[in-house]
Amino acid sequence: MLFQISEQIVNGIVTGAVYALVAVGMTMIFGVLRAINFAHGEYYMVGTFGAWVAIEYFDLPYPVAIVAGVIATAFVALVIGQFVMRRMVGAPAEAGVLATLGIALILQNSVILLFGGGYKFFEGGYIEPVTILGVSLAEQRLLIIAVAVLVFFGLELLVTYSRMGKAMRAVSQNVECCAVVGIDVRKVVVRTFVLGAALAGLSGVLTAPVNVSVYGGMGELITFKTLPIIIMGGLGNVRGTFFAAMILGIAESLVATYVGLQFRDTVGFATLMLVLMWRPHGLFSAQARY
Amino acid sequence: MSLNESSLPLPGRDLRLPFGLAVVVLACCAPLLLGNYALHAVIISLIFLLPAHGLNLLVGYTGLLSLAQAAFFGVGAYVSALMAVHWGTPFYVNLFGAGLVAGVLALPLGIPALRLRSTSFVMCTLGFVIIGQAVAKNWISLTRGDMGLSAIPKPYFALGPASFAVSGTVGFYYLVLAIAALATFVVWLIVTSPAGRNMVAIRENETLAESVGVPTWRYKLVVFMISATFAGFGGSVYAHYLTVVSPLTFQMSNSTLMLIIVLGGGPGTISGVVFGSLLFVGLSEALRIAPELRMVAYGFCLLALVFWFPKGFAPLITRFWTMLRGRS
Repeated sequence: MLFQISEQIVNGIVTGAVYALVAVGMTMIFGVLRAINFAHGEYYMVGTFGAWVAIEYFDLPYPVAIVAGVIATAFVALVIGQFVMRRMVGAPAEAGVLATLGIALILQNSVILLFGGGYKFFEGGYIEPVTILGVSLAEQRLLIIAVAVLVFFGLELLVTYSRMGKAMRAVSQNVECCAVVGIDVRKVVVRTFVLGAALAGLSGVLTAPVNVSVYGGMGELITFKTLPIIIMGGLGNVRGTFFAAMILGIAESLVATYVGLQFRDTVGFATLMLVLMWRPHGLFSAQARY
Repeated sequence: MSLNESSLPLPGRDLRLPFGLAVVVLACCAPLLLGNYALHAVIISLIFLLPAHGLNLLVGYTGLLSLAQAAFFGVGAYVSALMAVHWGTPFYVNLFGAGLVAGVLALPLGIPALRLRSTSFVMCTLGFVIIGQAVAKNWISLTRGDMGLSAIPKPYFALGPASFAVSGTVGFYYLVLAIAALATFVVWLIVTSPAGRNMVAIRENETLAESVGVPTWRYKLVVFMISATFAGFGGSVYAHYLTVVSPLTFQMSNSTLMLIIVLGGGPGTISGVVFGSLLFVGLSEALRIAPELRMVAYGFCLLALVFWFPKGFAPLITRFWTMLRGRS
């Protein structure tokens, strides 16, 4: 019994790490743009497909495919950032909603057009099981956790110490003042956007061997999983997002085992509503920022 | 003479009445002009107009961006379908039942949700849709899960001994047209009443509205309930038109479509939303000629809308009305 619970918790941590990587990009983009990015899950999908193409069409090994997937996502995000997201600076929230919904439609259906709508088998990754402290799990899952921890550590350093991180924080506090002191707001927005999207793509590539199948519509589900996470973590709060993602991942895994698999996808929003009743500004922010 | 012309606007002819009459005539003659498929598209647009009107009261007039419409739309569809299948009640009873249940359900959902601000409120309303879909999928004894409810009778009316059923696309078109026209009229009444002004006051500055004595909390709650009622009506008509209801009624794309109609058509204008529902639902149906590229093209249309008409078509429509009134 205890063993089973610990196994479920470890599984939950893996899921949480995947969500955390996607959600952190979304929350950073929200920070600088004040727009809910309804297309964010699609970058997860683009990353997965980038790696899938690299493996399937070019016979590249999985580590190279990871890089290919992330670069493909970053490229797509750069194009979208230059043409769409730049113009969203200072635009009303409604414009952001419409634009990101449009982008989600374009990305999702372009991929379906290019590669067909069916499920595809993702070959690659490290699926050999290893046993740690009596819990056995695939190497790939360990890799996901390790990458998530590293990425968050790196982001924390980037946001706190680097010039770009400081500019990002400044933009998320006051756009006009940044423009006054000479920060190129649009450049910061595009960079943050590309970074966030690339992280989502990385998450997609890392999860693909665990999910085994990839398909064009997979991004939408991820978008709806990460939306409650970024609210729970406190919008724009990187550390809070990490913990919120872990909580949600573990909760999902426990609900799937002990309540029923069919309720797994509602855990996020149900938890979110309960949290919002109690703390309307999220779990980890001292006060509402937006 | 020339001075007179430039200082005083010419009292041009007021063309609003002729325009209105033309629209009415066009709407009544539509089945003669349109093919069966185009008529189907118009029917779907008019069905989606009902939740969009409700959403417009919420987004356009009170300033609350909500994604919950699909949840109430789905509730309306299921209530109506269950009443028709199990009790065999006539259409207008189902319609009012659906609106009533959706509206009443909005009260316990709205009380916690409306305490939240901007983005948190949007997410909370999105949660209603996701949870609604889970309920529809898993409450199998009532909703039959993923199989959905089928063989919902076409609308029929029973007044005393006389009863008649609406069948065929043309008959349904007139039924939906009547309901949509009535709904538009009701929205117009709400918006032009003092209550409508108070709603706009809340949108423009909630704190100020509160300070001059507008009971903002009660207003927001009531508008939320009214918008849910409209969504419930829409769901009811949708269920009777398609004759099947499945958990997919609760899909997010329904909510986003309603939002696109309102934001694209012009939030805070009634004619804008009518125009928006015809345009965006019609566009989606018209793009079926290129099925593969359809959703991609739709996405590009949304981007074009955001870039070229950031406020939706509202400014264009306002200008159009001013032009019709004969003043420039």
